[in-house]
Amino acid sequence: MKEPSTIKDEVEFWRWREYHRVVQGKKWTSKDIITAGVDVGSVSSKAAIMINGEAYSWGITRTGSNSPESAKKALDWALEGTGLKLSDFKYIVGTGYGRVNVPMANKAVTEIACHAKGANYIWGPSVRTVLDVGGQDIKAIRSDETGRVVSFLMNDKCAAGTGRGMEVFADLLKIPIEEIGEISLKVDQEPPPVSCTCVAFAKTEAMGLFRKGWSKEKVLAAYTRAMAVRMANLIDRVGLEKELVITGGQSKNIGIASRIEVILGVKCLPMPNWRENGLDPMIAGALGAALFAKALYEKAQKS
Amino acid sequence: MKSEKVEKKYMPEISRKEIDELRNSVKTASQKIMAENIERMKKADPNRPEVMKYFDEIANLFGQRQKEILAEKEKGKKVIGYMCLFAPTELILAADAIPVRVNSGWYDTSKLGDRVVPVEVCPVIRSTIGAKMIELSPFLELSDALISVLTCDGMTKLSEILSDYKTIWGMDIPRVKDSSQSLRFWNDEIKHMKAQIEEFTGNKITRKSLKAAIEQTQMATKAFRRLQDLRKGPPVIMGRDAMLVNQTYLWDDKKRWTEKTEALCDELEKRVQRKEWVCSPDTPRVLVTGTPMFWPDNWKLPTLVEEANPKGIIVADELCSGERILNDPVGVDEWSMDDMLSAIGDRYLMASTCPCFTSKDGNEDRINWLINKVKEWNVQGVIYYVVRGCMLYGMEYTRIKKALDKINIPVYYLDTDYTREDVGQMKTRVEAFLEMLTARVDF
Repeated sequence: MKEPSTIKDEVEFWRWREYHRVVQGKKWTSKDIITAGVDVGSVSSKAAIMINGEAYSWGITRTGSNSPESAKKALDWALEGTGLKLSDFKYIVGTGYGRVNVPMANKAVTEIACHAKGANYIWGPSVRTVLDVGGQDIKAIRSDETGRVVSFLMNDKCAAGTGRGMEVFADLLKIPIEEIGEISLKVDQEPPPVSCTCVAFAKTEAMGLFRKGWSKEKVLAAYTRAMAVRMANLIDRVGLEKELVITGGQSKNIGIASRIEVILGVKCLPMPNWRENGLDPMIAGALGAALFAKALYEKAQKS
Repeated sequence: MKSEKVEKKYMPEISRKEIDELRNSVKTASQKIMAENIERMKKADPNRPEVMKYFDEIANLFGQRQKEILAEKEKGKKVIGYMCLFAPTELILAADAIPVRVNSGWYDTSKLGDRVVPVEVCPVIRSTIGAKMIELSPFLELSDALISVLTCDGMTKLSEILSDYKTIWGMDIPRVKDSSQSLRFWNDEIKHMKAQIEEFTGNKITRKSLKAAIEQTQMATKAFRRLQDLRKGPPVIMGRDAMLVNQTYLWDDKKRWTEKTEALCDELEKRVQRKEWVCSPDTPRVLVTGTPMFWPDNWKLPTLVEEANPKGIIVADELCSGERILNDPVGVDEWSMDDMLSAIGDRYLMASTCPCFTSKDGNEDRINWLINKVKEWNVQGVIYYVVRGCMLYGMEYTRIKKALDKINIPVYYLDTDYTREDVGQMKTRVEAFLEMLTARVDF
């Protein structure tokens, strides 16, 4: 939700791109197994449509105050331009924080299982560790070659180091959120991480550094570094096994990803070119949910 | 009322009006929570054994049992409260006094405890302080004296704070369990406790009365173990129901509790014969271990597990608010006073798997016992539950995780607090863990 601002025409630096896409060159018929996954997160809602277990279209939107509406909005957007309607779906799985509030879903599956499955779909069977950086939490997930969860860890209820924290920081520094990663890397030397990634204290922390004469870039670098350390610790605790990938909104933050690589001494699998025709790691959960939907539909057909 | 003028060393002075207002509001909220917990337990098992009604009533902290104890007190009986399971309840029973455990399970009162101790302190302690502050806990209020066993730091300091109100008897427990000097020291503590209880109650603990008390708790252990054993097979009772039965022992009349538990087991055995399971035998079987989960607010995790999607069933626990209460009987060879006292010493020290202990090889007893439980109860996954500030359980996790990894049992570290705010987040964690366990069978 947007912070109440005192200046009416203030630029919303935290705002990231909401969009939808249909994969070109794919066709569907009524014989196909058409499934969907709807991932209602605390900050963003994602819907992905699959045809016979292949990604077909998706939509990404901001989660509003109402989960069922956000789910509908995301799915409507994924449907746009596909010619599909709700009745064409064989099975829909809801996931994410609002998974029980997805009205069109046949079943709910946690985002932890879905991200592991979705990452396996996006990057292939070599993925063993998934870091999902969501709007309000971070999860480190270990999976097997089929994308099944082997173990996982999740941060506590504190939002430090999450997507929401980054939004607050973008607003604070007046840097558009989509540029925040690049800008955080524009420092000659990496500053020490800030001592506290607490969202509530972000402002105090940043002000202190500005007073010391630090540049915006340096402050951002220190904050990003601290978040990356937090995430790397979580990965360490769950036990890093290659290959490592990052999903969720923060996967697009190069400042986070590159720092995690340095701290852990491993390379993440390369990010798909989501701006053009690649899959978006932000929809990993929705893709995983759509895959579970297909599996669950097939299981129901058999019995 | 009598000690109104005594200057408090630890607790703030609070007006009578504030105490009453706070108590009434927390009590009302608590009654609602207890009723809701029980409603949900009933819903989870539409065919819930009839005798569970008895335990539901005893579980009402402001209900029948409170009145019974009050009536006994009026007849001259003493009530002796205790905070840790190491308090030798046999001695209390043998002196014709009533033992009750007084740890607090209220979330709301932990916030009140913040007025006295820092928020970093374990919430079980803060909650007990808060409960005392507003005179909420019937069993704590009814206690004439408290046995405080100095296990963790929180318990040690809690006993000092409660000394603002109550007679406190500290029991110093040795931290190294497997040495003869520790046992000697502990046995002296037991003897000293016997003398204190005798003096306080004015009742001599005789060979006869102690034998009767030991036999009574042995009977309770028998019933208790029977119930735990019934959970080894396909699920015949919801974990929450069994946990409630276990916990009510802490304040119920021991003889009656034993009879009711035996009656429950009779019914459950019939159901086993008829293969009447409480949920599908495929339901993932979970063991919970870690920080004690005191009724009523800490039903948060068991409820989440057993109402999750996919759901799990708690078939066993390794908690001092559960399994550890009665699992081990006092084993007496000869019924002489000395022999009985040393048997009590043995049972409370050697059999405990509390993480306050260490030995030649760390707390190996707990690890071995956990592995044993996992195997015998056919456990598929372990939830390691820790409330923030619970240092000892938190610190033992790493080693236990490694031990469980070795036998290929998934374990999930679930950290939480005395709060309801994290229920949504906890639900995701619990469900993802249960999905993981389910995935071992299908999905």
